[in-house]
Amino acid sequence: MRKRNTRLLRIALALLSFPLAAPSAELPPLPILNMSDFQPAIRNQVQQFDAAARSRPNSAEAAGRLGMVLDAYQQYESAALCYERAHRLDARAFQWDYYLGSVQVHQGKYDQAVATLREAIRLGPDYLPARLKLAESLLAAGDLDGSEEVYKQILENASKAMDSRLRGNDNEGAITTSAEALYGLGRIQSARGDIGAAAGRYRKACEIFPAYGAAQYALALAYQKMGKPDDAEPHFRAYQANMTVTPPLDDPLMGTVQALNLGVDQHLRRSIELEKQGDLRGAIKEQELALEVDPQNVQANINLISLYARAGDPDAAEKHYRDSVRLNPNRADAYYNHGVFLFMEGNSQEAEENYRQALKINPYYTEAHNNLGVLLEKQGKTEEALAEYGAALKSQPNYRPAHYHVATILARQGKYAESAGHLLKTLQPEDESTPGYLYALAIDYARQGDDRSALIYARKARDRAAAWRQSQLLSRIDHDFPDAASERPPQ
Amino acid sequence: MTRREILVAALALGALPQQKRPSRANSSSADPIFRDIASEVGLNFHHFNGATGKYFMPEIMGSGVALFDYDNDGDLDVYLVQGTTLDHRGKLLFPSPPGWKPGNRLFRNDLAETGKLHFTDVTDQAGVGHVGYGMGVAVGDYDNDGFQDLYVTNFGHNVLYHNNGDGTFTDVTEQAGVDDPRWSTCAAWLDYDGDGLLDLFVGNYVDFTVLGNKQCFTPTGEIDYCTPKAYQPVPSRLFKNLGNGKFQDVTESSGIGSSYGPALGVVCADFNGDGQPDIYVANDTAANRLWLNQGNGTFKESALEAGVAFSADGLPKAGMGVSAEDMENDDNEDILVTNLMGEGATLFRNNGKAEFDDVTTQYGLSGPTFGFTGFGTQFFDYDNDGWLDLFIANGAVTKVEAERGNPYPFAQKKQLFHNEGPAKRFRETSSSGGPAFQIAEVTRGAAFGDIDNDGAIDIVVTNNNGPARLLRNQVGAQQHWLQIKLAGDKTNRFGVGARVAVLRASQPPLWRWAHSDSSYLSASDIRVHFGLGKDPQLEGVVVHWPGGLREKWSNIRPDRIITLKQGSGKSE
Repeated sequence: MRKRNTRLLRIALALLSFPLAAPSAELPPLPILNMSDFQPAIRNQVQQFDAAARSRPNSAEAAGRLGMVLDAYQQYESAALCYERAHRLDARAFQWDYYLGSVQVHQGKYDQAVATLREAIRLGPDYLPARLKLAESLLAAGDLDGSEEVYKQILENASKAMDSRLRGNDNEGAITTSAEALYGLGRIQSARGDIGAAAGRYRKACEIFPAYGAAQYALALAYQKMGKPDDAEPHFRAYQANMTVTPPLDDPLMGTVQALNLGVDQHLRRSIELEKQGDLRGAIKEQELALEVDPQNVQANINLISLYARAGDPDAAEKHYRDSVRLNPNRADAYYNHGVFLFMEGNSQEAEENYRQALKINPYYTEAHNNLGVLLEKQGKTEEALAEYGAALKSQPNYRPAHYHVATILARQGKYAESAGHLLKTLQPEDESTPGYLYALAIDYARQGDDRSALIYARKARDRAAAWRQSQLLSRIDHDFPDAASERPPQ
Repeated sequence: MTRREILVAALALGALPQQKRPSRANSSSADPIFRDIASEVGLNFHHFNGATGKYFMPEIMGSGVALFDYDNDGDLDVYLVQGTTLDHRGKLLFPSPPGWKPGNRLFRNDLAETGKLHFTDVTDQAGVGHVGYGMGVAVGDYDNDGFQDLYVTNFGHNVLYHNNGDGTFTDVTEQAGVDDPRWSTCAAWLDYDGDGLLDLFVGNYVDFTVLGNKQCFTPTGEIDYCTPKAYQPVPSRLFKNLGNGKFQDVTESSGIGSSYGPALGVVCADFNGDGQPDIYVANDTAANRLWLNQGNGTFKESALEAGVAFSADGLPKAGMGVSAEDMENDDNEDILVTNLMGEGATLFRNNGKAEFDDVTTQYGLSGPTFGFTGFGTQFFDYDNDGWLDLFIANGAVTKVEAERGNPYPFAQKKQLFHNEGPAKRFRETSSSGGPAFQIAEVTRGAAFGDIDNDGAIDIVVTNNNGPARLLRNQVGAQQHWLQIKLAGDKTNRFGVGARVAVLRASQPPLWRWAHSDSSYLSASDIRVHFGLGKDPQLEGVVVHWPGGLREKWSNIRPDRIITLKQGSGKSE
């Protein structure tokens, strides 16, 4: 009897939902797309989705898929029309509401996004990214109470997930999501003027996900306002090291959209990421994929000059140099990259020609001025080298390699104080080059006879070299400044 | 001399009769707030960007406009910066209209002479028609001769025009030593070292060159203008005025050269209340900079700690235009930065100690500005209710999806926001702004000032590859107002950097400041404007001159333009 009642209920619900699912008279039309200037591979792809949607006008899936491909290329207005149509054709499908809400967020239509995402959550209450987007939209729309409520729900769910994790389940995503919720709650407290409470939330967010750039920034600013600049300082540093990093969010639906993007930019971006991770081969592959999409892409060719040179494939580097110059003979960075490659190959003469060509195209090319300076210095043309370093510094006054090279020339000329002035400008921002610059500064002070300053900088150099695990430099410092390793105060 | 006599002398110095309140016989509450009257009054200017389809980045960036009284006749004249072509062999996509003249143009306002608002192109006799790839303009009387001079920025060499005081100008760039051959954008005059002479800040953008032009693309692979990320930023400059017609480049020694980004907007104001002018620079796709004046000839970059480098999420945005005024009437300069479509403008509230909060969302600006690429902007009181409202000039720099198929697919509508005062919100009033707010254009520069001396702030906007518009304010004069021209003696002549307060019975003072910088590549009226509402109850005016001298004038009456001469008030 109970089973039969359930079945009846299902039928009744299906009947009730039928009018919603049926195409209505107000069905939004599919967008008229002017694709004449699209990149050919992208145009073909979008045309296929467009044709499918037009051939099946009552298919929510076809309309939605067209929306997805347009969404992938940031054609948000057209995508919104498609998602809206897909939603009207199948009002029970969570994904069309979610996608539509996301696109509305991209368009800054926060009030609409709130309504759409609420509907999405009604259909798919477990999809965390939808809840996060809803909370963000409510906050952006100025509904602090509404946003707070949603963030608190997210936090509660994450807390349950953490308990579950303690019991051995893997819920990494839910846990990092709690960092986003805490950050959102902090922003709400901040908007209400309660900086102390905001700082508490931000601090927890940073504890959960220390690389969370926005939370670190917000926490640093909160400390600053609370009159605690010393507390703020490490968070400013953490922020600067992770400016764009956010907690990873498992959003397979959005992943599906992004995967539709065949554009060159996607590959170039991925290549940069892989290069940063030290994966040269992966980076090269992405650049080559970019060229498959658009064989005329100059930037990919220019990037490949450098990547292949570093990967030890000079023939490929040379080929991409030739291709890039054939496609555009006026790209300064092609000549610059080629110059670096030739220098690595020991061909200083042609390297110089390439740097000069780069500078003909862009007289403000800092790195080309600097590298040309290095070549001239090697040829004993000190004054000319100094002029090139000077030009580099005029373009970028805080360009550290040029300061360093000027400093070494001045030191050779016995102008230690001037040399130190340049070296002092190499100390910020701090990175793996910093220990070397500090060591050079220590040497400079030692030569000036300022042993106290020399020891101070030698110790700093030693600390940083140890932190960066630069063992060779560490040995040199210990050899040249035996007292640097001791705790004895400088005399 | 009694105080009353001093006051009379001060008022007389203005030599301006009380302006007759304009007739509003045809106006009603349904009338639009602004009406474009540029062509009616002879302000005929069409910006030429010289585009040939190569997508040279400077084409999409310019240009600016200045509102200033070059002939000291008591009305605002208009200087408009012009582009040219960067590709002399290519076929122009948008040929110049018939009768178009190359080079920047100066339009003289004939209002004072004829009683009728009308403009005459006096470029040739004034000698200010520089032909270059023009970007921006800054106005300031650098030699304190009582006539405002012009600094014009270009993609290429910049120009300093000295105002000779006889209706002509002389190009003194070389002898002054203030050129910069790179791509300069914004510029501002300020007396950073308190010596009574205006110094010059010049914002530079990126290392783009015509020969090294890069091709950039939309996400769908269509050729498009590049973002500044395709190039390297170049440092801005600070020139110290030596007082002998020459300037010294103090970029390095002042600290200004130590950190930089692609600068597009600049405003100089005292953000931390120490009496020294600071410099705020809006950078495109990079951290904005706040240079706090240390009072010893140097600046300390403090944007990060102050919370104005980035928006609340810590991400750099594409800063374009900037305005700094006291939007809450609490005696602190707040900052608005216009950004790229998909970012929205950023509103920073100042607590008076150069500690800022991003209050964009609280003030209701996140959603309405999100879909626009903002450029020229200013806090200004369009309805004279005593609260500073907001104007934003919009126009994209990369192709707009909805505009695809149009020959110049970058157009967007302008926006107007009303300051709701104690409610601490801005309400969008673009729909009441008038027809000029309903048409999408590629608007860039915006300069603000009372062009017909009726007490209401008007706006001149420039459109990239389009006509300049004069948006005459139709509603401001319905409430009381006061405009103050400062006459510095010990300080710079026009009182740049002075803070001025109107004292009101039973209400807190209204603080404004004398400046012509801010917005985008543009210069606005130096006169300090106050909206006074329906019941002004004026008790006096206080001026805090640069350098610390404080004076008060009593018996000030509303609805007029007055001149306050330094030393003629009662010392405070």
